[in-house]
Amino acid sequence: MSSEDRHLIVIPAYNEQDSLPGVIASLQVLPSGFELLIVNDGSTDATSRVAHALAATSRLPLHVVDLPLNGGIGVAVQTGYLFAAQAGGFRFVIQFDGDGQHDATAILALVHEANRANLDLCIGSRFLGASVGGFRSSRLRRVGIGFLSRLISLLGHTRVTDPTSGFRCAGPRAWRDFAVRYPDDYPEPESLYWCIRNRLRVGEIAVTMFERHAGRSSIRALRSVYYMLKVTLAITVDLLRPKEVSQS
Amino acid sequence: MTAERLMFLGGVSVFLLTLYWVRSRRLRERYAIAWLAVATLLLLCGIFPTIIMRLAQWAHLSYSAAVLFVALTAVYWFAFLVTVSLTRQHRQSTRLLQEVALLRHRLAQMENRLAGGDPEAGGP
Repeated sequence: MSSEDRHLIVIPAYNEQDSLPGVIASLQVLPSGFELLIVNDGSTDATSRVAHALAATSRLPLHVVDLPLNGGIGVAVQTGYLFAAQAGGFRFVIQFDGDGQHDATAILALVHEANRANLDLCIGSRFLGASVGGFRSSRLRRVGIGFLSRLISLLGHTRVTDPTSGFRCAGPRAWRDFAVRYPDDYPEPESLYWCIRNRLRVGEIAVTMFERHAGRSSIRALRSVYYMLKVTLAITVDLLRPKEVSQS
Repeated sequence: MTAERLMFLGGVSVFLLTLYWVRSRRLRERYAIAWLAVATLLLLCGIFPTIIMRLAQWAHLSYSAAVLFVALTAVYWFAFLVTVSLTRQHRQSTRLLQEVALLRHRLAQMENRLAGGDPEAGGP
């Protein structure tokens, strides 16, 4: 990694007024070259005001984009990829949730691994060997995640352990395509499989996740059935599509 | 009231309703054409009830089943097309939503730069 590389950290935030200050503070450990982008996903609380106030005091450059309506996690993250594409000059774009469950110190490891193994998508996994301890979500959700891991591993002939992780580092080949097309709800497993099928290089490193600081996970019990069906359908339908990665 | 008269009345009302909604620009002509076709079909069936009976005979279907089949096919097809165009609409509005947000960000940056302040500070 050359010292001139610039990387963008995209922080999707929906009603995260309470956790954002902690998240932004934790990210200040990163060296210069990293820039932060909060995508406020049409929050109804003071997220926008909090974000703009943080922008005034952040050591690392902090951009704030306000979506005028709530579009969902995929729309918010894709806005980050679009921002990176329009601003130019970024190498890796890292998704980092605004609810405080991701560990800022793991970002360097994520970028380092993406660089070392020449990956297009490097995912922070809760379930990979070394990541004992930490928060690994409820039993029911682990069953669902296990199912999706096996499905994607089987169809993609690649071992993945945490397809729903929202802690991920995308290289230019991946995020330039994500800026054009990205699923709007529950995008992580689907976009991961899309990468594998389009022969982008995918890898994982072990990370520790925390329990959410505040707010609630967007995946609630009643929605999990829809979640599993939607993601499974999306992944199997992707099999029927022609490969669509742009050769850039 | 006989089925024929019912279909005739249905046809007339669908016709009028469609024209009314097109006139007030709440329905695009491209969809109105399909609805006017439905209305015409209903009207024809109302005026010439023998059409349906001949159709039923030709298709070897009993009368009620034939009507049900045709009606369900039409309903299915319309509803399906609506969800397809809804999907396209959704993708377009999502893209616009993102573009508005990114443009607002750049606008705020430029305004702040003009005012000589920190480009990232300030409200939306």
